[in-house]
Amino acid sequence: MIHVRNLTKIYNGFQEGDFVALGGISFDAMPGQVFGLLGPNGAGKSTAMRILSTVLKPTSGIALVNGYEVTESPSDVRRQIGFVSVNTMIYDRMTAWEMVELFGRLNGMNEDELQLRMERLFDRFQMNGMRNLLGSKMSTGMKQKVSIVRALVHDPPVLIFDEATSGLDVLAAREVFRSVEELRDEGKCVIYSSHIMSEISRLCNLVAIMNRGRIVAAGSLQQLADEHEVHDAEELFYELIAQSEREHSSLAMRNG
Amino acid sequence: MTWTNIKLILIRELKDQLRDRRTLFTVVVLPLLLYPLLGLSLIQITQFFREHPVTIWVVGAGNLPTDPPLIRGEEVASEWLPENQASLVRLAISPVDEHGFCEIFDRFRRAQESEGTLELIDQWIQQQMAQRKVDLTVVIPRPVDADVADASLAPKPNAYMLTSSASDKSRIALERWQSVLNRWQLALFERRLAERQMTMADALPVRFEVMDVARKAERNSAAWSKILPLLIMVWCLTGAFYPAVDLCAGEKERGTFETLLSSPASRSEIALGKLLTVIVFSIATAVLNLASLTITTTFVMSKLSHLAGGPLGVAALGPPPLLSVFWLVLAMVPVAALFGAVSLAAAAFARSSKEGQYYLVPLIMVSMPLMILPMLPATQLDLGTSLIPVTNVMLLLRSLIEGSFDPVLRYSVVVILVTLLGVAAAVRWVVYQFNSEGVLFRASERFGIGAWLSFVLQHRGDLPTVGHALLCGVLILLAKFFVSFGVGVPDDWYEFGRQTFVILLATVAVPAVLMATILTRRPLLSLRLTWCRPSFIAAAMFLAVCFHPAFATLSRIILAIYPPAHDLAALHGLIENLLASTPPVWLLLLVLAVMPALLEELAFRGFILSGAQGVKNQWLAVAIASFFFGAAHAVFQQSLLTFFVGIVLGFLAVRTGSLLPCIAYHAVHNSLTVLGANLAGSQWLSSFEWLLSVGERGGISYHVGPALFMTVTGGCLLYWMWKETSRADIKNFDFSRLGRFCNQLRGVYQDLA
Repeated sequence: MIHVRNLTKIYNGFQEGDFVALGGISFDAMPGQVFGLLGPNGAGKSTAMRILSTVLKPTSGIALVNGYEVTESPSDVRRQIGFVSVNTMIYDRMTAWEMVELFGRLNGMNEDELQLRMERLFDRFQMNGMRNLLGSKMSTGMKQKVSIVRALVHDPPVLIFDEATSGLDVLAAREVFRSVEELRDEGKCVIYSSHIMSEISRLCNLVAIMNRGRIVAAGSLQQLADEHEVHDAEELFYELIAQSEREHSSLAMRNG
Repeated sequence: MTWTNIKLILIRELKDQLRDRRTLFTVVVLPLLLYPLLGLSLIQITQFFREHPVTIWVVGAGNLPTDPPLIRGEEVASEWLPENQASLVRLAISPVDEHGFCEIFDRFRRAQESEGTLELIDQWIQQQMAQRKVDLTVVIPRPVDADVADASLAPKPNAYMLTSSASDKSRIALERWQSVLNRWQLALFERRLAERQMTMADALPVRFEVMDVARKAERNSAAWSKILPLLIMVWCLTGAFYPAVDLCAGEKERGTFETLLSSPASRSEIALGKLLTVIVFSIATAVLNLASLTITTTFVMSKLSHLAGGPLGVAALGPPPLLSVFWLVLAMVPVAALFGAVSLAAAAFARSSKEGQYYLVPLIMVSMPLMILPMLPATQLDLGTSLIPVTNVMLLLRSLIEGSFDPVLRYSVVVILVTLLGVAAAVRWVVYQFNSEGVLFRASERFGIGAWLSFVLQHRGDLPTVGHALLCGVLILLAKFFVSFGVGVPDDWYEFGRQTFVILLATVAVPAVLMATILTRRPLLSLRLTWCRPSFIAAAMFLAVCFHPAFATLSRIILAIYPPAHDLAALHGLIENLLASTPPVWLLLLVLAVMPALLEELAFRGFILSGAQGVKNQWLAVAIASFFFGAAHAVFQQSLLTFFVGIVLGFLAVRTGSLLPCIAYHAVHNSLTVLGANLAGSQWLSSFEWLLSVGERGGISYHVGPALFMTVTGGCLLYWMWKETSRADIKNFDFSRLGRFCNQLRGVYQDLA
């Protein structure tokens, strides 16, 4: 469903020099799975997600989403995905209904199908009370619900959640978790990024732990725990990142 | 790209903007309220308007003729004052010798005659006037009738009006005093004629009266034709800019831009959807302003008709004619599209709304000269001005509103074409901006010149970029502009030769070679210094001969459309004389043909075209290089011709990949022109009578038959080159290979040694 090979992203900045946001990552994610990208801030998770959703172009490497390559057929890729990110806000001057309707139409849905799907989604996410509420009047949780419904309206086979619970209270975050679990059970391929270990351990079948633009470890949480003989998830995460930092420091010292 | 997505984004943006109170206020509420409020305020203010009296200090009033008297008592005799100005002219009378004023003034006058204006005495007179609180000083130093008796003094002035052009009140005082004087002098003239038993008809047999045959509507149109086009431009620009900032920078700030980018709509569809929104708001702003202005002038300004010709000249203005309004609305579409696209492209670059606002001023600074140019009285719609964007639309509008349809019929096609080209270029820019990740996700960085330079050096590519090409072109134009100030007309031919060489080298070749060396990894390839098949060089030389008749004809057509200005013709005459006086033809060819061919080609078909080819469309790249090639020639007529020559040169460069055919073509083309001008009347040229004839000014003109044949042959040659250069087995020789070959030879030599 999602195949990523040697994906790199380098930002050229004349003050700080070249910044390697992604240093050649590779992973695969299949339908009915939640693939977690876990890493500290600045690890490159959002960059990878933005490339998969075609918002950014990779410097090199290949990323296939449901058979479409992100640089060659970006429009087709966008039809295959629903993207929910901490960076994808909703319009202040549009109602929840209008916002979801717009994205349904942009995805080429016919009017009857769209109305039916929206009714179902608004029922499922208990959003009927906020149909005509403007974005500027919504709470953070309400906004995130609209974002999720916007991403689901065209029933995409791939869902990308980038730090989707950031800034949400516990109740709203639980709603997001429940949605992700339902989507997984429906057979969707979900990519879920977070820097919170408990979220990942609850939702993900497979995880890739990232640091400084590279995947430092990948597999199921159980596999990783057995490999590193650390059975506490938080501890495992800390251990892997610390090890990666030590390697980076020694490499930097060797390179002067 | 689908229209459905563009329409969806357009509708969304329109809805979004209409729900924004700031936009509604700027676009709808402000114009609908502003003009009526301004009109009402004007009515209120006019109640307090009155004309202020001026004080005129008359020194030596006693020296004036007394029959009829100009001054009665301490006032101007009432018969010389217009009815409504009786109380508006006050006099301060002084005897001639007051504080020795006349003596000092007389000295000043004599000094002025010999040495020009003396600032110290000007200051002293201003002080004297300020002390007396007067606006104008009239000095009559001697009895006037005594001067008349002295025939030698009669033609010289014997009375003076000292005014300060820096003061409005002083200028008004002068106007009023002159109006009084005109009436009085006419009466005096009649009286003197009567004394000699003559009438006015005897002295002035021809008397003119001015009659304005323009209808009121026409006068009205003429007045509006100057104001409305400018207002439309300003409304369209401001109406486009604020929504553009909100739609790009505002969205980035609110975090909704990424949401839209992750939708299936392509970047181009998003850009076009937003552009259409900006155009709609730009037109809406202009239409609402125009409607409000029309209603205000109809209902409010009519109330001020009593002030027509008074202090408010605008009160004489009626509402804009309906036909003018129609033309204005029609013109709004391309203007709004142009400004909308430019605003959106600029706004896409901004990271926040605040940063976006900063771009308005530079945008206005660039647009203003184009908007002000048509306001100059001497500017009219002709082929030259119809090629200037914005200016051409304003001039076309002016002609339409004035009802002068002749220039409109003649140049409207050019204006429409230039405007459409401008709109297309601006739209492409917007789409490019939206497709550029560096623009959309620009992060804020501190700017340091050192860091920037090292960044540029580290990231230089094999060939220059489009930006490098444009920068090089602009640098060449700037260098030429500044050097042109420091260079005078040469005295002799050798100086002309030296000047031409130094200017070409310093302003054209050096910037290109330096930029190629510093900004690219392969300078030789960037300057297109690669070998090519000798047959291409020979073909290029033959092509120059074949196309020369076509370009000679084009040159004559250009000169017929844009006749050279007088001073330019004089300068040309000077240079022609200079050249005619120089016998060695080989030297002429060196300076005017070979040298420009070598140095100009390095820059224009070398560095600039190499960089411009980054735009992918090769013809556009050739046009960019040709534009700079043309613009680098100071004389406009020459610029136009060289632009077209540049297209052929660009074709040669792109197809052969080498600069050598371009240099060959350029050198032969220039040589033929120089020889034609220089060898007029020579025995050698007379043997080509079957082909060409020499004009009176030395220019050559080809006979139609041979010219057509040569042009067709040139066309065939171009086709041959096209086919030949399309062959896959052609490989150009790379000069760097020569370097590697030399290194290998050196290695072999060292081994042997």
